[in-house]
Amino acid sequence: MTALAVLVALSPLAGSAAALAGARARRAAVAAAAGAAVALGCSLALLVMLDGRAPLFGWDGFLYVDSLGGFFLMTVAGVTLLAAVGSIGYIAAQEDSGELGRFQVRLYFTFFGLFASLMLAALETGNLGLLFVLVEASTLASAALVGLEGRARSLEAAWKYVIISSLGVTIALAGTLFLFYSGSALHLGSNLGLTWPYLLAHAGALAPQSLRLAFLLAVVGYGTKVGLAPMHTWLPDAHAEAPSPASAMLSAALLNVGMYAIIRFLAITQARLGHTYPRAVLLFFGFASIVIGALFMVRRGNFKRLFAYSSVEQMGIIAVALGFGGTLGLYGALLQMLNHAIAKAVLFLSSGDVALRYKTREAGEVSGLLAAVPVTGGVLLLASFAVLGSPPFGLFLSELTIVRAGFAGGSPVFPLLLLALLGLAFVPFARTTAGMVMGNPPPLASPYRDRAAVAVTAAPWILGLAVLLVLGLWIPAGLDTVLRNSIAVIG
Amino acid sequence: MESLSATSTAGVLLDLSGVLILLLAFACLASKLFNRYVVYYGAQSVVLSFAAATAAVAFHSAELWILAVLTLAVKGIAIPVTARRLLVTRLALKRDAAMSTGLSTSLIAGGALTAFAYLVIRPALLPHGTVAAAVVPLSTAVILLGSLSMVVRRHTVAQLIGWLIVENGVFLGAITLVATFLFIVEAGIFLDIVAGVLIMVVFVSGLTRQLAEASAGELRELRG
Repeated sequence: MTALAVLVALSPLAGSAAALAGARARRAAVAAAAGAAVALGCSLALLVMLDGRAPLFGWDGFLYVDSLGGFFLMTVAGVTLLAAVGSIGYIAAQEDSGELGRFQVRLYFTFFGLFASLMLAALETGNLGLLFVLVEASTLASAALVGLEGRARSLEAAWKYVIISSLGVTIALAGTLFLFYSGSALHLGSNLGLTWPYLLAHAGALAPQSLRLAFLLAVVGYGTKVGLAPMHTWLPDAHAEAPSPASAMLSAALLNVGMYAIIRFLAITQARLGHTYPRAVLLFFGFASIVIGALFMVRRGNFKRLFAYSSVEQMGIIAVALGFGGTLGLYGALLQMLNHAIAKAVLFLSSGDVALRYKTREAGEVSGLLAAVPVTGGVLLLASFAVLGSPPFGLFLSELTIVRAGFAGGSPVFPLLLLALLGLAFVPFARTTAGMVMGNPPPLASPYRDRAAVAVTAAPWILGLAVLLVLGLWIPAGLDTVLRNSIAVIG
Repeated sequence: MESLSATSTAGVLLDLSGVLILLLAFACLASKLFNRYVVYYGAQSVVLSFAAATAAVAFHSAELWILAVLTLAVKGIAIPVTARRLLVTRLALKRDAAMSTGLSTSLIAGGALTAFAYLVIRPALLPHGTVAAAVVPLSTAVILLGSLSMVVRRHTVAQLIGWLIVENGVFLGAITLVATFLFIVEAGIFLDIVAGVLIMVVFVSGLTRQLAEASAGELRELRG
């Protein structure tokens, strides 16, 4: 099992290796996709092996994989696979048109692999100090992707992203230190004492006052990476300026990794302090994010910014679900994370195709997508409705679960507020995407070399939509088991 | 882990270092000249290195010596010297007038944040009589002041140094709270590397040179 876990974290580096060896965009992207496929396969194998067995624990807790970690590994590896396949067409088209130089292409694939690998490694460690290190390192790797295009705007976005995220993660470090301090009574001398399973098992001995502070600092710190308002300001810029497959990685993988860190802190805090305090913190940041996300979607402009604000809103929904808590709330939160990851990956990847064809990222300048490129238009429209939580897609089911969890938790005020805000978000988002899809198209030239490239580009969108549709109609027994095992881990 | 008492020699020295670090954070916040901003930051790091050395002696910890030496070498000398040479000498940037608030406003805000830090770290959090009870509110104030510097300053390098001030605050707290943990040394080394990479990115790459010249206040295309 240890070998499998190591393979999960290392295999995305195949793309980096290919790029460093001098491969052109197509070959490097295929290598990256192959690496991601291996990572996905290994993480699925890990999940199967973890069912009904003790978590994988090794190297003094530096390596620790339980069902929760396995679930996130599967999500991140899946998104990496979609984004890597999406890169085959997108980056190659940009290389062919000369928008990206050879050096930039090399840079892209090197850091793409590194970014994925660091995120997967962060999900595989039980040591909370190493978790901080890996999350901060993944910030640096992904900043290179954000600034890749080298224009003043992308450099500004990359700078904002690095400096705000680094500040956030430093605050998370302060939270981690307070968590360790709260365990003073446990004499946490060795590395073993700094691991999550040890702290959870001995949660009863943690000092409540500093644990409260630790949890708040962790939510603010890792919440910066998640994009919870009001720490979300880097997110729209970074998502808008990064190449589309990299935006998909940021929105669908990185945000989930931040949320994963918050869930780990949440489990320890709940075990010691009960549910009231973490609930208040998570509901505050969650609703703030939903309101901010929904309000900023009203402004029509860059469509990738629109999707980015939708990510802020979605992360708010997930934080609210974690705040509602209980088995139902956690189930809804995890399911929502998986569904959102797939839907957002599809949206960003298909928006990359729009940006290539129309040579703009402004929603107002795009029209007639359905007439000009029916596949892209159809996918964009369906994925938009999926993200907004319409049936029959997966997000409808998970949002329903979250609202039910809210009603089960007592006061109907919060679930009703959530429903109202979801409705509010629907209008501006659907208005913008509908405007892009309808109308008469301008004359367009295909940016791809041949029909095969078009098919490869569209493959991850179709696959993602199919998975979303399946998840909206029925939860496979295997996934249900994984979700229940994950919830059992965090209690 | 044992905690130092506030009246031991090491405790008094740590407390004193904490006060100096806070004062230097205020000095950074108040300095309009780039030159001085960088020098005050360097001085703050030197004091932090002294505090780490004090803790190293008190806890007989070889690892904390590493932290002390690294802090002195990287943050006390290398970063201030590089920043000064590149900004003041090569780019002839003397004044950092790009602040989004007036000097007095930011100082008043800094004072309010310091008071807030003392309110948040109530006595209930830390046992009375330990040095941590005295120093952690100071370090929290330094973290907040560093964040404030990042907010009010528009120049990219000034923001970066603001982040490094935050980091100094975190490590001041760390060496009084959890000094015996090997982890803080590792985290310190790692963050030094991150700071080094960021400085390299800002200075070395030809493209980011424009970024260093244009203050971030002028980079406002991305809004809303």
